[in-house]
Amino acid sequence: MGGGKVEADDWMPDDYRAAVLKFVEMHANSELMGVLPEREWILRAPTLKRKLALTSKVQDEVGHAQLLYRVAEDLGKSREQMLQDLLAGKTKFHNVFHYPTASWGDVGIIAWLVDAAAIVSQQALRDSTYAPYARTMKKICWEESVHIMHGRDVVLTMMNGTDAQRALVQDALDRWWGPLMQMHGPPTDPARDRDLIWKIKGKGNEQLRQEFLSIYVPRILELGLTIPDPELRYDEKSGRWRYTEPDWNELRSVVTGHGPMSQQRLEFRRAARTATQWVRDAIIGPQVVAAA
Amino acid sequence: MVHGGSVRAPDEELAVHYAREFYGRRQESHRLWIVARDAITELDDPDLLNPPFDRSFKRPGGYLIKHKLEAAKARAGNPSEAGE
Repeated sequence: MGGGKVEADDWMPDDYRAAVLKFVEMHANSELMGVLPEREWILRAPTLKRKLALTSKVQDEVGHAQLLYRVAEDLGKSREQMLQDLLAGKTKFHNVFHYPTASWGDVGIIAWLVDAAAIVSQQALRDSTYAPYARTMKKICWEESVHIMHGRDVVLTMMNGTDAQRALVQDALDRWWGPLMQMHGPPTDPARDRDLIWKIKGKGNEQLRQEFLSIYVPRILELGLTIPDPELRYDEKSGRWRYTEPDWNELRSVVTGHGPMSQQRLEFRRAARTATQWVRDAIIGPQVVAAA
Repeated sequence: MVHGGSVRAPDEELAVHYAREFYGRRQESHRLWIVARDAITELDDPDLLNPPFDRSFKRPGGYLIKHKLEAAKARAGNPSEAGE
């Protein structure tokens, strides 16, 4: 490929096609499942403007799922099959969408920091060797930057509010910090990371986590929030952030469907899919999907 | 993928040549997709594309955080860093 780009109708090695498909499908699944924690708060948003902004964010994320399934289905797996595999628990979605939301503070922390952690890796995907994915990521990154502003604005408003509001933000940060630190995954050996070798993704897991910490730790601390990791510090000598080893067992358990909300969220999706089946039947006719 | 521009040509073959000369002269393009104008479906309804409501919450600039950030920093005891 010589540093070039691959289009959907180009010849590509089977391994590359399989790797891109797996990567994009997981991303699409995450966008689709990721709106479920947030949609729970649309009806409980504190003001009309917040309700509009949150509704818009949910629409954006579902739109991202549509764009990404579009990219993925060109690689040879039908959209029906991808949705069926997701609902059957055969394919994964990001760890952070397997957890419950406790308060409006969670809405702020999710939109600000979960989206921030995501955008660090998504910005690197704008240089993906798979051109349709790279193009799609440009639009997605721009919209994610809006979500981050929305989330930061929610957090700032609460931090300027009552002690009870400030406590809600701190409580949310305490619960989300662990999943945030796990989100990029354990460090991988760059020489053996297939997605890096193919340049499907641009940066390794640990590099992404370091970048996230460099930008966001100062922004969190300046608000008077406490990060629940006594080991977290910037090591001047090595130029790296030190932190308590994230719980990789929790990450593996959560993304394989054993998170606190994994099954409820999947069940909600299954119910929605069943309830809307008549619409798809009416528009595109009954769909035949290979038996599981 | 961006709209590169348009060309006028009597047939597809010449359209490809013109497109290549106009929009692929300086290695600025990886691919050119050339489509006849009558094959394009257009949407230009301003009520749909530019509805007259405040949608600023859909843009990064719709959130003005400068004063909120200063206030939050001051409350956290970092007034000297306020306003950056």
